[in-house]
Amino acid sequence: MGTISLKNISKSFGSTQVLNNLNVDINDGEFLTLVGPSGCGKSTLLRIIAGLEQQTSGDVLIDNKNVNRVRASERDLAMVFQSYALYPHLTVRRNLETPLRLRDYNAFERLPLIGNFSPSKKEKTESINQLVNKTSETLKISELLDRKPGQLSGGQRQRVALGRAMVREPVAFLMDEPLSNLDAALRVHMRSELSELHNSLKTTFVYVTHDQAEALTMSSRMAVMIDGNLLQLDTPQEVYDNPSSLSVAQFVGSPKINIFKGTADSSGTVSFLNVNLKRKSSESNTDLHIGIRPEHLEITNESNENTFSGTVAYRENLGSDIFFHVNIEDGSNKIIVRGLPQLTHQISNGSSVNIKRVSDKALLFNQAGMRVQFTNA
Amino acid sequence: MHNSKAHIWFIAPAIILMIIILIFPLFLAGGISFTDYNLGNKTFDWVGLENYDKMFNRKTYVKMIWATATYVIVVVPISVVLGLCAAMLLNSLRFGADIYKTIFFLPVMATLLAMAIAWEFTLHPTLGIVNSFLANGCGGVREFILGFHWLPWVDSQESWYAVACANNMDFPYWLKQKNTAIWTVCFIGIWQAFGFNMVLYLAGLTSIPRELYQAAEMDGAKSTWEQFKLVTWPMLGPTTLFVVTITTIRTFQVFDTIEILTKGGPSKTTYVMMYAIFEKAIQQNLTSIGAAITVVFIGFILVLTFFQRYVIEKRVHY
Repeated sequence: MGTISLKNISKSFGSTQVLNNLNVDINDGEFLTLVGPSGCGKSTLLRIIAGLEQQTSGDVLIDNKNVNRVRASERDLAMVFQSYALYPHLTVRRNLETPLRLRDYNAFERLPLIGNFSPSKKEKTESINQLVNKTSETLKISELLDRKPGQLSGGQRQRVALGRAMVREPVAFLMDEPLSNLDAALRVHMRSELSELHNSLKTTFVYVTHDQAEALTMSSRMAVMIDGNLLQLDTPQEVYDNPSSLSVAQFVGSPKINIFKGTADSSGTVSFLNVNLKRKSSESNTDLHIGIRPEHLEITNESNENTFSGTVAYRENLGSDIFFHVNIEDGSNKIIVRGLPQLTHQISNGSSVNIKRVSDKALLFNQAGMRVQFTNA
Repeated sequence: MHNSKAHIWFIAPAIILMIIILIFPLFLAGGISFTDYNLGNKTFDWVGLENYDKMFNRKTYVKMIWATATYVIVVVPISVVLGLCAAMLLNSLRFGADIYKTIFFLPVMATLLAMAIAWEFTLHPTLGIVNSFLANGCGGVREFILGFHWLPWVDSQESWYAVACANNMDFPYWLKQKNTAIWTVCFIGIWQAFGFNMVLYLAGLTSIPRELYQAAEMDGAKSTWEQFKLVTWPMLGPTTLFVVTITTIRTFQVFDTIEILTKGGPSKTTYVMMYAIFEKAIQQNLTSIGAAITVVFIGFILVLTFFQRYVIEKRVHY
């Protein structure tokens, strides 16, 4: 079992409030990502779960047991640090053994030389060796066991850090931006490896990242945190399609969602630029933000009451997609539109284009940044 | 390209200076040690190993080796361990650390000469504060604690403190007594050296990443001792190597305390090498024997350096 519940967690450093009354329930075997811009308190929250930091108020429950007064080493969690925090003076093998030695050997058996006289030590050593070998095979680091961390590449160190967390078979894994020190290609590769690892281990993962792409690709659920508040906790698809607020919509998704200023009239009809939406807003007579993701805008040859025009300021070619940064004609907005290469290869910087939106994809937010629903009628 | 001689011009000044200032005096000392030359003499004779033969057979020089060895063996480990303990204690303090740092570092900054004079007063057999403190404590708590009466096997009538009290306040003469002089000098040496070691260790401690302690905690290193074994001590390896080397060389070179407090006495128990070199070569103008002691001195330092370079360094992780 590995459920973790956070109840009304608050944390302040002096007069600075870092976490604001957070409630999160993490299910057994779940891959939960805490995601948010840097400084939002996500690492602090992870460290509170680990027990390395004490919350100012609130409860941490692991497997329904309150662990507020249990120190980190007794919570049976494993952590992968951003800097990996491998013991630089020990070989990879010893690094992997350390958590097992500290847990399995008693104080006498850990003594140098005379510890070897303990009758039960040999058996324990064998089981430790087996576990280390098994783990290193899973992570494909068997041939690195006799090296020191200083002789490893970033990716290899990352695996060793994972291995050190894995050998012990903890209740849950806590990972603090483990991929942020890797180069881009390796990071993408490790994402899939981590997901596979999670599938095969079926242990709870709590994963902290500032990279929304990691959160979207790996997690079973993601918790979006901004400024110490938990804004939304849901599956990645749901967070992407149905963001609860403007900040979440802007944080999740790359390139960023396009925001237009618009209004809703007394009947709830939403209009922005020269476009009227078909669906009606549940809030009427107010200014609204209309969010449309780049992939829900198309470049078109048509010109009618559903399209608006602009000038291409920058053409960003990613191979599979091309993103056009377009200045809207009235000068108020700079938006990003996705185009397929085969349809848009002739468009270059400075051309003027017509843009059409895909219907039923717009998101509404009120002035306070909260989501506004469409009426069903 | 390879025929250019330019490189010689670049390295020559450094090499020449090094030879004149560092290497030549060394060989000069080595050469003189095989002669009977004294400063001011016009001629000299080669005497072979006679100077060395004296050194290892005459009682004075055997005592010199003993005094030096005792001083180094006592002062180095104790001042290193004390320095490490003080550094770790200070590192764990939330406030007030600066005051302690200043106090502990004071002996390093102060002129040893002035400090030695202060010690001389303090340890004076009859006027010194130490002995008057002891004398006033006869029959009291001081006697109980310092006389080790709290140890079960110490007879409260027979302890050194009780005996001294009974014999008309016959407390040790510290620097003037054969069996205490070297230990008193050692004590002053430790007092002087550990502040410096503490500062070096403090610098070493701040360079240990905090995440390593957190990783150790997550791995199940619960006690401070476990964390010390797993993280602090190995990570301080390079610092320790440096501290031990520096302290060893400095203790080998102890001179000022001896010159001021004991002049090598009583009966040569504190006759350390540096003082012997000074006494022979400068005061008594026996240049050749002074040179021989210098060569042996350098030999000791070289042996230690090689030991450190090839044995200890292999066990230190950088």
